[in-house]
Amino acid sequence: MRLGRRQVFFLGVSLAFLALLPPTPPEFRWVNLAMAALAGFWFVLLTIEQVAARRAEPHEGDQA
Amino acid sequence: MSIAVIFIVAVALAFDFFNGFHDAANSIATVVSTRVLTPRQAVAWAAFFNFVAFLIFGTHVAKTIAGDVVDSDLLTNAVIFSGLLGAIAWDVITWLFGLPTSSSHALVGGLAGAAVAKSGWVALLAEGFQKIAVFIIMSPLIGLLLGFTIMTGLYWAFHGYHRVDRLNRAFRRGQLFSAAAFSLGHGGNDAQKTMGVIAVLLFVNGHLDKAPDGSIPIPLWIVLSAHTAIGLGTLFGGWRIVHTMGSRITKLQPASGMAAETAAAATLFFTTYSGIPVSTTHTITGAIVGVGTTQRLSAVRWGVAGRVVAAWVLTIPGAFLIAYFAYLPFRGAA
Repeated sequence: MRLGRRQVFFLGVSLAFLALLPPTPPEFRWVNLAMAALAGFWFVLLTIEQVAARRAEPHEGDQA
Repeated sequence: MSIAVIFIVAVALAFDFFNGFHDAANSIATVVSTRVLTPRQAVAWAAFFNFVAFLIFGTHVAKTIAGDVVDSDLLTNAVIFSGLLGAIAWDVITWLFGLPTSSSHALVGGLAGAAVAKSGWVALLAEGFQKIAVFIIMSPLIGLLLGFTIMTGLYWAFHGYHRVDRLNRAFRRGQLFSAAAFSLGHGGNDAQKTMGVIAVLLFVNGHLDKAPDGSIPIPLWIVLSAHTAIGLGTLFGGWRIVHTMGSRITKLQPASGMAAETAAAATLFFTTYSGIPVSTTHTITGAIVGVGTTQRLSAVRWGVAGRVVAAWVLTIPGAFLIAYFAYLPFRGAA
């Protein structure tokens, strides 16, 4: 399955927050983790949406 | 207080005024582009909330600028003046080109450039710079994620609601509050940077003593004058940048304008309370891109966003170099 551009975008944002963990001052690292989790959430949700849409496509075609 | 100190305080307040002038677009671009307010009303609205921000926020950001960027024991009047000159010059150059760059990072770059010209790289405080550098990248990304999340939440909450006119009216009213919140964040974070500069100037000249915890206290008159300057600057704000921010990055509707401003305001509230000087420009741009992404990635004009990013990358080095060279004549005189 090929990932859509938005999924790749949010995966990239999530990884960027994780990559910034080492230089982030310790008292703010929770921000990186929270934002990485949020971006990861959107990555997963958009991927599920894409998979569901692909599965629905042939089904709709059968009905037509 | 010597004439030199009074003159540099005036230059710092002029920088603050120009910061408001330069960044007025950030506070009002979405509210103007969605036609919730006329440009004149929007500017007055933003200026008012820029000013009253001093009632809500502490002075954490000012203390960071005053004590965590450059070693305050190495600062002199000439360094502070050259730093301000570098920041102002950079702001003027980018304003002429209509680029929404960060006045905050210009100030940090300017102070750093002048301090390095005086004392070498040892003048810079790695910890403070690290915090600022990390949030240069993180603040627009936080704005982007929150913008996308809020906008998606609005879609989910109202997708079954068919009375579009009534919904749009409600979002237009909501945008008044989100624009006010963003202007509060802008006034809180940006005005404090100038407060920090004035405080460190007074400390260098022996008019202020460090607090027991080693930080430089910020007197009330500095707080009030900085907020007045940024409020007036916003009132006289420039229009070149409104166009880039409000319509060229992505097309905004009342709901998306409200989502972008709320996301940016939340980011600014957090960073201001945490004493992190961030760019309001970066933050709102990230939030606007975030709400644009809810449609599809191609709804964002990445070429324009890329030009803005390029200007951001150049801001600290640009202001650094101008301030560095502005300090050289003083070094010869010393």
